[in-house]
Amino acid sequence: MLLGAGRWPRALGGTALIVMAAVWLLPFVWAVVTSFQSEADVTTPGLSPFKGAFTLESYREVFDRGNLPVWAFNSLLIAAVVTALTVAISTLAAYGFSRGTFRGRRALMALTVASIMVPPQLLIVPLFRQMLAFDLVDTYWAVILPQIVAPMMVFILKRFFDGIPRELEEAARIDGASDLRVFWSIVLPLSRPIVAAVGIFVFIGAWNNFLWPFIVTNDSDLMTLPVGLATVKDAYGTVYAQSMASALLAALPLIVVFLLFQRRIVRSVATTGLGGT
Amino acid sequence: MSLPPPARGISRRGLLRAGLAGTGALLATGSLASCASPAASTGASSLQVWDPFSGGDGMLMDEMIAAVSSGPDGFTVDRTILEWGASYYTKLAMSAAGGRAADVAVLHLSRLAGYAPGGLLDPWDLDLLAEFGVTERDFTPAIWSRVQHEGTVYGIPLDTHPFIAFFNVDLADQAGLLDSEGQLLPLASPEALIAAGEALAGASGGQGIVFGHVNDTAQNWRQFFGLYSQTGAEFTLPDGGTPRVDRDQAVRVASFIRELYGGGPNPGGLDYNGAMASFMGGRAGMLMSGEWELPTLRDSGIALGAAPYPQVFEQPAAYADSHAFVLPRQERPDAERRREAHRYVASMIKDSLTWAGAGHIPAYQPVISRPEYAELTPQSSYVEAGEFVVLDPANWFAGAGSNFQNAMSQQLQSMLLGNSSAEQAVDRMISEARTLLDQPNPVA
Amino acid sequence: MSTTASTGAAGPRPLSEGAARDSAARPAVTEAAPGGPGRRGRTGLLFVLPFTVAFGLFMVWPIVYGIWMSFTDESLSLRGTSFVGFDNYAEAFGDPDVWSSLGNTVFFTLISSVPLVVIALAMALLVHTGLAGQWVWRLAFFAPYLLPVTVVTLIWSWLYQPDLGLGNELVTAIGLEPVGWLSDESVAMWSMAVLTIWWTVGFNFLLYLAALQSLPDSLHEAAALDGAGAWRRLWSVVLPQLRRTTGLVVMLQILASLKVFDQIYILTKGGPNESTRPILEYIYDVGFTGYRLGYASSISYLFFAIVIIVSIAQLRFFRQGD
Repeated sequence: MLLGAGRWPRALGGTALIVMAAVWLLPFVWAVVTSFQSEADVTTPGLSPFKGAFTLESYREVFDRGNLPVWAFNSLLIAAVVTALTVAISTLAAYGFSRGTFRGRRALMALTVASIMVPPQLLIVPLFRQMLAFDLVDTYWAVILPQIVAPMMVFILKRFFDGIPRELEEAARIDGASDLRVFWSIVLPLSRPIVAAVGIFVFIGAWNNFLWPFIVTNDSDLMTLPVGLATVKDAYGTVYAQSMASALLAALPLIVVFLLFQRRIVRSVATTGLGGT
Repeated sequence: MSLPPPARGISRRGLLRAGLAGTGALLATGSLASCASPAASTGASSLQVWDPFSGGDGMLMDEMIAAVSSGPDGFTVDRTILEWGASYYTKLAMSAAGGRAADVAVLHLSRLAGYAPGGLLDPWDLDLLAEFGVTERDFTPAIWSRVQHEGTVYGIPLDTHPFIAFFNVDLADQAGLLDSEGQLLPLASPEALIAAGEALAGASGGQGIVFGHVNDTAQNWRQFFGLYSQTGAEFTLPDGGTPRVDRDQAVRVASFIRELYGGGPNPGGLDYNGAMASFMGGRAGMLMSGEWELPTLRDSGIALGAAPYPQVFEQPAAYADSHAFVLPRQERPDAERRREAHRYVASMIKDSLTWAGAGHIPAYQPVISRPEYAELTPQSSYVEAGEFVVLDPANWFAGAGSNFQNAMSQQLQSMLLGNSSAEQAVDRMISEARTLLDQPNPVA
Repeated sequence: MSTTASTGAAGPRPLSEGAARDSAARPAVTEAAPGGPGRRGRTGLLFVLPFTVAFGLFMVWPIVYGIWMSFTDESLSLRGTSFVGFDNYAEAFGDPDVWSSLGNTVFFTLISSVPLVVIALAMALLVHTGLAGQWVWRLAFFAPYLLPVTVVTLIWSWLYQPDLGLGNELVTAIGLEPVGWLSDESVAMWSMAVLTIWWTVGFNFLLYLAALQSLPDSLHEAAALDGAGAWRRLWSVVLPQLRRTTGLVVMLQILASLKVFDQIYILTKGGPNESTRPILEYIYDVGFTGYRLGYASSISYLFFAIVIIVSIAQLRFFRQGD
């Protein structure tokens, strides 16, 4: 253990950790407290978090008139489709790059790796123009398609496939299995952890993506959670308890998923975040 | 890559909500098309409408929509409220460029020059509107002159909302500024308005006329341009040219503003909320602001009066803007929906007495002539402002929520805070306007 | 648009450099041996095809078309487009708003990156001491990173609310004047940095934690046997071991901070008085609010050039350090 030995460093470290965690949790706690108060109590000045009675009023309001369910549905749909497509084409491509011998393989891979340097945010203008040309602005496809190109993920997966010994595949091939068969029943099962890691990372990214969906959807019924919450207002102006209620509801899905799959998510972010070494 | 048109409509929303539980199943089928299919079932029944109204305006708009939605001929309206400001206009333009915009949207007429010439709006069918009882004759010429581009009508005005003078009836009465009916007496010269400020300050024991402008992106320009227009001078922004501004008159107006809020009875350094608070707390006799503040001011409990901005120069003019209904460009307009859109707008405009509750002057003149409107106070006290409204100079970069208004306001703010003279402020305004004009015009 | 960039400053874009070890990825860094039976040549192509099509359509084509756009006066409105040569680039170089928004971006990068690295390291070191309740610490520090940006801005706009927000309640409770967190030009960018640190530090924290956990225990033990105190061990054993990770985290963080847009756009729209407007928002403002897609493209490519230069400079710097 790092600071394990001395009693002092341990006590000091523990205190620091508790203070930091408290500071980091404070905004959440404040939001939760606010969301369970009535609008009138919230707007009474005062530091006490318990100035008003507990009420579910703001959650009820959010459900009654909000678009929240529609946006949550869109977020889920879009993130799921983006993840499925990204994982599918990236895995296939990575395997092709790893084992293929076709001409231009190295050049194409080099181009893919180089494109990791391109910040996608800088492509919003030409991409929007492209969506206009394809007549896709204000459709799900416009949100999804540009998100499925993930050169980083191809790179990570290729490095992993490169490390799988070929003997297994050769054996299967001698038995007459096709390339796709080999990929599907030998390589993929061996790669489950890394594919899951990539999938989780892509899903989180797509679920939380703001800029591109914001650019390409104007119709409230097609917006994702982050875009809808930021763009669409309701007739009644700013209401704090309700804002907090909708914020927490929007935060809930991924937090729950995190609590359930903590280790796996942590691992996936650490591996994919670092390029899969 | 041909895809079904995007689904819209309230029934789809209901369906989605109901189907949320079945999301997993839906996803399992992996078909996006299945999500878009409800579009077919909604058809032309529900109208998509966009506006930037929340707060008081937003609730009145809800009321009006509810009113036209009831009855056998009622509409099914799917209303989307977007945050007011540049972001609203950005979304409007992007959705129009995309070709799947809302059926009807609200646009400030001062922004029309940024939309109609670029093909982002579709024209109104005046014959169709006439069929539903709305014609050119129902609007004042001042506003009708701003709904067109090259002779084609792109906007149907819902209201005009001028920059006016609110006053505290008790204080104005003490200061001797009211006639026997409780209306504000004419303050027909710069000196008269300045004197009124002193008299009001005497009555309130504090401030006379308040005006909130610090860090505001439009208030200074609104007041300046209203007063400038009272001089009868020209202020235009011809494409590819230089701003046509009568510098002498502009300096005269700016100097007057500087004198009016030169400290003393009328403070020169208030921000928007500060001026509101001062007036609502009874510490000031008069507030120069937009009529849209009427509901808030009335709630404060002071005896509230209102009048058009006093005509202190040669001719009547009131700075204003107008919320108008427009048809954002559709790639594939549906004739039946378009017809419904016309009928909807006609119904809303005829029903705009409700809208007057927010302080706005209904643009549809038959509503103003109704006895119910005459009974609305103080709305009926400034209704005549609607006859001589002036809007921003027409150009793609000007209008409500634009950089142009902000740039003009900044220079005037600097002057009012004592950092520049009237001449300097006017020269900088002209040069800012020139910079904006020098940009390539992206709509023409 | 790849998904990894989604959360603006939140998602430091993963790079190829690797440092942490993790059991999920059991890699070998050996380049695939070329060759193999020739019959597989074509199949490899088929495997790569779907990705290549998407890559060509949504990455290569926009890059190329964007370059073309930057030489035209293409507009969001439907009027025609004409070639304008280098006019856009000339205009961009002389446009004070390009420089001021670039300045804002650099300022934000400075004031956010340093704490985002230092605090993340501190968190990881503390959690790694092995105090009970690992999952609680991980949740506290990493959970904000999982929030969509709008949730973060909603929560923080409430904390920063001038009259009722927690921020000003605390400030006034200790007898100070209320602060214009988002309305004061000299404060707003700092407020953005604080929000961003809270939101995204968890990512760097995890990278550090992964790196720490992969350090061989034998190192500590050897040092402990030497009788080295905790601080000495930290400075002379642990931190040097984390050098590569730090290099990577710094690099990812700077690139992520340079691309800030979401939280600023949502909370202040770049205000007050454009004091928080980052270059990406200026591109948005020019291209979409101002319709000038061509001009916006030219600014994008200028900024792209800067990003490339920064990346290469950093790569060199850390290579030298190794």
